[in-house]
Amino acid sequence: MRIDYIHLVYLFGTLFCLLGISLCIRTARTRFGKLQDAPPVSLWITRLPAESAAKLIAFGALIVLPAGAVFIANYHTFEGVHEVGGCASCHVMRPMVNDMQDPNSGTLAARHYKNKWIAENQCYQCHSDYGFSGNMEAKMTGFRHLARYTTHTYKEPITARVRFNNQNCLNCHQGTLKFEAVQSHHTAGSRLASNEMICLNCHGQAHPTSIQRTPGSADYSRLMEPFR
Amino acid sequence: MRLLHWECWCAFIGFAITLTFVLFPGPYEMAVFTFVAQPLFAIAAVSYLCKVFLDLRSRKLV
Repeated sequence: MRIDYIHLVYLFGTLFCLLGISLCIRTARTRFGKLQDAPPVSLWITRLPAESAAKLIAFGALIVLPAGAVFIANYHTFEGVHEVGGCASCHVMRPMVNDMQDPNSGTLAARHYKNKWIAENQCYQCHSDYGFSGNMEAKMTGFRHLARYTTHTYKEPITARVRFNNQNCLNCHQGTLKFEAVQSHHTAGSRLASNEMICLNCHGQAHPTSIQRTPGSADYSRLMEPFR
Repeated sequence: MRLLHWECWCAFIGFAITLTFVLFPGPYEMAVFTFVAQPLFAIAAVSYLCKVFLDLRSRKLV
């Protein structure tokens, strides 16, 4: 049986949270002032004075287990958003995902998907800059999107606030025979590298247009179908 | 005296939210975890550490 990251997240996340809940209840009910006279407590392989044991449990309940639970949940967040399904769970993203998975679509995302130019995590591969700092920036943008989505403080069609970084394309394409054979890539090389010119200037629409994604448009209901 | 009463309830709510997010991930659960549970854990931890520090200082250990 293959153990995926999600199984470990379920296991350790549930374990940490349930243990944390039980220790929190115990600590909340502890009267620290009355523990001096209490009998010693057996803790695993040792015996501790009741006050020391209660302090140790409080440390576990308020520092150790929350740190573990937060780490696991954040890991779950960062791993989960790599998957296409993670992006599609917000309905404003459905037009992009449905279009990408549509074999009849000619958008750049759909062509990458149907030709399997990107094997998995297709959204994340193009929308997260590589490297630690780039990834952190992408995560911070993700938190802003999360806040806007869950508080319904957005308007459809959504628009990108940041300029797409060509480096995401160049990471795969630069240096390939096909890319190097095109003279304009060399002519515009410095402008592409500095994002002065974007790849989409020549390579067409990446996703459905904002007109297609506007509620009431002819394509809107097709693009908003639930994620499969 | 229940010294860590409200800190424990803050952490308790944090754990309950985190457990919900871990088992049933979704945008709303993620938002509640990110913007509610994590600050609750942080508030509880900071208050706990302050009380530990004050306790140590009252015993003249720091």
